[in-house]
Amino acid sequence: MKAKRIRIAVDIGGTFTDLEYLDEASGETQSFKSATTPDDPSLGLMNAINGAAARFGFSLSDVGLLMHGTTIATNAVLTRNLPDGALITTAGFEDVLEIGRHARKEIYRLKPEPQAVLVPRRRRFGVIERIGPQGEVLTALDEASIEAAIDRVATSGASVCAIALLNGFTNPTHEIAIRERVLARLPGLAISCSHEVSPEIREFERTSTTVLNALLIPVVRRYIDALLARTAAAGLTAPLYLVQSNGGATTPRAAGEAPVKLLLSGPSGGVLAAEGVARHLGFPNVVGVDMGGTSYDVAVIRDGRRAVVAQGDIDGLPVRVPMVDMRTIGAGGGSIASLDASGRLQVGPRSAGARPGPVCYGRGGTEPTVTDVNLILGRLDPVTFLGGEFALDLDGAREALETRIAGPLGLDRDRAAAGILAVVVAKLAGAIKLSLFERGLDPRDFALMSFGGAGGLHAVEVAEELGMTTVIFPKDPSTFSAHGILQSDIVHDLARTRVLPLKPGTAPAFAALADDLLREGEALLAADGLPADQRRLELAADLRYRGQAFELLVPLEDAPHDDTALEALCERFHDAHRQRFSFDDPNETVELVTMRLAAIGLLGGMATASAPQADQASSARERQVHLGGAWTNAPVHEQRKLGAGAVIDGPAIIEQAYTTLIIPTGWRVTVRPSGDLVATRETLS
Amino acid sequence: MIQVSSKVAGKVGGKVDPVLLEIVSHALVSAAEEMSITVWRTSRSTTVRELLDYSTAVFDGEGRNIAQAARMPVHLNSMELCLQEIIAKHLPLERWAEGDVVVTNDPYCGGQHLPDFLAFKPVFVEGRRIAITCVLIHHVDVGGGAAGGYNAHAVEIFQEGLRLPPVKIVREGEMQDDLFATILQNVREPETFRGDFLSQIAALEVGARAMRQLAGRYGVETLRDVGQALLDHSETAMRAALTALPDGVYRAEDFVDGDGMEEGQKRIAVTLTIAGDALTVDFAGSSPQARGPINATMATTRSAVYYAVIAASGIEATANSGCYRPITVTAPDGLLVSAQFPAPVSMRMLTGHRIATAVLKAFARAIPARIPASYYGVTFNHAVNIRHEDGRRQVYFDAEIGGWGGHPEADGPSGLSAGFHNGQNTPIEMIEAIFPLRFTHYGFLPDSAGAGKMRGGLGLVREWRFIAEYGLLNASFDAFASQPYGLAGGEPGRGGRLSVIRDGRETALAAKTIGCVLKAGDIVRMETPGGGGYGLPSERDPAAIAADKADGYIS
Repeated sequence: MKAKRIRIAVDIGGTFTDLEYLDEASGETQSFKSATTPDDPSLGLMNAINGAAARFGFSLSDVGLLMHGTTIATNAVLTRNLPDGALITTAGFEDVLEIGRHARKEIYRLKPEPQAVLVPRRRRFGVIERIGPQGEVLTALDEASIEAAIDRVATSGASVCAIALLNGFTNPTHEIAIRERVLARLPGLAISCSHEVSPEIREFERTSTTVLNALLIPVVRRYIDALLARTAAAGLTAPLYLVQSNGGATTPRAAGEAPVKLLLSGPSGGVLAAEGVARHLGFPNVVGVDMGGTSYDVAVIRDGRRAVVAQGDIDGLPVRVPMVDMRTIGAGGGSIASLDASGRLQVGPRSAGARPGPVCYGRGGTEPTVTDVNLILGRLDPVTFLGGEFALDLDGAREALETRIAGPLGLDRDRAAAGILAVVVAKLAGAIKLSLFERGLDPRDFALMSFGGAGGLHAVEVAEELGMTTVIFPKDPSTFSAHGILQSDIVHDLARTRVLPLKPGTAPAFAALADDLLREGEALLAADGLPADQRRLELAADLRYRGQAFELLVPLEDAPHDDTALEALCERFHDAHRQRFSFDDPNETVELVTMRLAAIGLLGGMATASAPQADQASSARERQVHLGGAWTNAPVHEQRKLGAGAVIDGPAIIEQAYTTLIIPTGWRVTVRPSGDLVATRETLS
Repeated sequence: MIQVSSKVAGKVGGKVDPVLLEIVSHALVSAAEEMSITVWRTSRSTTVRELLDYSTAVFDGEGRNIAQAARMPVHLNSMELCLQEIIAKHLPLERWAEGDVVVTNDPYCGGQHLPDFLAFKPVFVEGRRIAITCVLIHHVDVGGGAAGGYNAHAVEIFQEGLRLPPVKIVREGEMQDDLFATILQNVREPETFRGDFLSQIAALEVGARAMRQLAGRYGVETLRDVGQALLDHSETAMRAALTALPDGVYRAEDFVDGDGMEEGQKRIAVTLTIAGDALTVDFAGSSPQARGPINATMATTRSAVYYAVIAASGIEATANSGCYRPITVTAPDGLLVSAQFPAPVSMRMLTGHRIATAVLKAFARAIPARIPASYYGVTFNHAVNIRHEDGRRQVYFDAEIGGWGGHPEADGPSGLSAGFHNGQNTPIEMIEAIFPLRFTHYGFLPDSAGAGKMRGGLGLVREWRFIAEYGLLNASFDAFASQPYGLAGGEPGRGGRLSVIRDGRETALAAKTIGCVLKAGDIVRMETPGGGGYGLPSERDPAAIAADKADGYIS
């Protein structure tokens, strides 16, 4: 795959399809944007590729690799645009999927919350069989009940079928046998088995993930087929890789079998890009934030690597596959400021969304939003906002703020507006703090990286709130995800669950598990066609104190083959536990729960991005902006005109395409050779 | 930059700056959340880590509750009562030193029942007490006559287990090892208890650290003013919500099956008086204190009332003790809802639930369009004292729930936790990996929901085979005879059941069961109640009936 010199990454968002292009010979990268085609996103993808080929002058036959991040699975779940599915499970446990964990979202709510049931009871069928917690067969598979279940699947109208048996992760033989029988009689049916999709303990989470996977198979396969047909027809024969929720790329075939792994495909592109920029600029510990109209996403990069978790959720449904660890809170530009019954100021979680949107959009919004407040305080330019697509209604925003917030609180308008922003900043900072707290990390050891949307308006203040002294603004946030996808490697996440105490004598069992995984990982990468020097295998162990429900992931340099190595591993676990939870328990047994392997196929690093010409910072205009409690005249810089080495001291405003950066007094921005901006807090004299 | 980020006087015109109020309020809730995360991730028992039977909160320096992590209202709404009782009668605040941890599980000191241990830690800055952090954990065992603490035979609290008055388990940073050893010596699962308890202590310090940081940032005075203002605002919000309700006197009653000793149901009578912006909830006319362990102390009763009032009023204020100020709860001493020492109380939750449903029923008379029919009415708490062949012992504790009541606008959800309790179920695979139980059935119970225009939610069947040598089953159930009520012509939900199946023969057990001997191969089956229906069954949409039949919810 090295012979051809062009690599292309495509990220399909709600509005734009972003393309990033890399010429491997020169290391040159270029961006291209075209409109998303929601009815068939593959059309927009092809339009983008054709457009880029014309613009940058390459032939489709020169393309050696096509990388793709897609929200196709996510959108299907959010809109419940899913096929009718069936579930085969252990008889007597057909309702596990619907019972869930009993948990409610709002504890004081009396009106029922809508419950999401992925497969209704009429299409959930039990088979007589039972596997025990150690994988032992307690009840043999009952032939007649399999046939009866298949009869009912056949007449139910289901086009997909999930198979999830109690304790199926400890012994897959029954799930495999049922699958064979179903396929023999219903060959066209798409099937997912729980021991493959999510081979870990806790039946509801495993069943739900498996069902979601089955429901997504036709959705994702249909999309991939359309996409491949389109690219082939256009003469594009490069291999296609799809970015998964863990940030690693996978083949269309694998994606079609495990589509649930694509649910965070879109956002993971941004995290990959953040990882790349962080490494390139030499910041090992970075919190990446993306602020949109309604939400704020927080991801953590530690020691140069994105944090990955074993379970997340989408729309209230558990999804237990590895994914980039992203905390999302409901705070964005559209968040509404209001007063509650007792007169307390609230910002969010209600949002004006795109319709009616903020008051200043003039589309019927009446309640002041964060965007309105930014406009009132001069942080947003009513003329250049969103490329000047439409004029903003500043007077309307002012009036809404005055009558709904400032007046009732007895504050002047500027004070009320600044107050709303202060509340927003506290919320955003709180989300970051909790994300780090859950890992026992201190914000002061991190740099903040802000990409996308409204984040740049608040990033420096959020950093200051958290005691962080560095904020990174990537040079081109508008195609950031595509840029990240371009840097993706192939990643196979493998896991084996086996509860095993770490004590004298267990090292051989421990090593055997690890060797098993290593062999499997090597084989998968070989099947991907990767030569040995492009393979990397990373072992890690989920460890816990006996009896705990949660494990800490401890990376392994190598599989411990003797008691001494095992003891050293225990020590590292005690340290990690102390760091994270402020205590440890050296007398308690440490046990392994799951051994994990990331088998990584390196697709070749990117050349250093080109350095722009060295201009000094010179601003053509100034704007009145409210900062630190007072109006100040601040210079307005356009990022595209800033050269490497340029230095800008706050107060200042920097405008990027589609986003604005606010740099308060006390902060200094330097333009790095890569074109990325780094803001640092200057020591107070 | 932003003015409020530095230490500034936080008042505007004599009132706390509204912006500062919001910012510090978020930070206080975050402190409680950080404590909650710590317990969740580090505890050992399935009770805590899967059922999530614990709660965390932050108090001001005088012991008033100013922030809670959203966990269990039954705990959260009574923590302050306990703390105030400790301060008033046992350990005045001037005797709380930096580094102390005070712990108690005494129902007659503001607690509810013995398994719930409340631990408090004062937080000092420059010698001044600025806050108290609190973690309540339901521990898996407390000794006494029955594993898990649910001794159905108890007629005095002394038979229910170890009772710890408010004592300093940590003194100025020094763990009191002899006291801790004494506790561990008196419980059945010392290793699990120890792990959960250490997690509890660690979480207290996590909250304390967060509070010290807040004080360092905003100043002690500001923090105090904000705490005061938060309480005032929640009070204002509650008064506004009460004002919006129609004034009047509303009466209702609900029942518990009984205490398992004396004949007949026990009555909970409630009189709700809404007058302007205040509410009085009186329980005169309720049954006298029972002989058996179903009694509720006023801590349980108040906490059930607060839950029901906050839920019914629909306020969106920050939950803290300011919400409680407009609410007066009264009951003559010595009733089921106001039990006096030394009445046994281990099963207080079943009465607590029915206090909540009785209050909600009274609200249904005031605001019928907003109140659903009764939910399942009781948490099915149960425990097994297990002995393995090799002599090893274990205690299995679990809790199950049932269907929710039909609502004027929607069917009741099946198998959904009541907000008052707000627990999770324990995954079967997790139980089987740890305990000698093999499940045979977990699902909805068809036809258990109360019929109505909007039907109730279905109850659940949970059934497992016991595979160890010997076990003793204890159950703290109710709502077998006292079915969850329907409203507006809806029918009641089906009552619960408990049975044991040995050699193919099923034997019904009492709702309050203690020491039922289990042998290898026995199957224990529990059926939880469905929710009551809302509105006349004859008015139900035929399409909804057809759908229920297709899904087998009704036969």
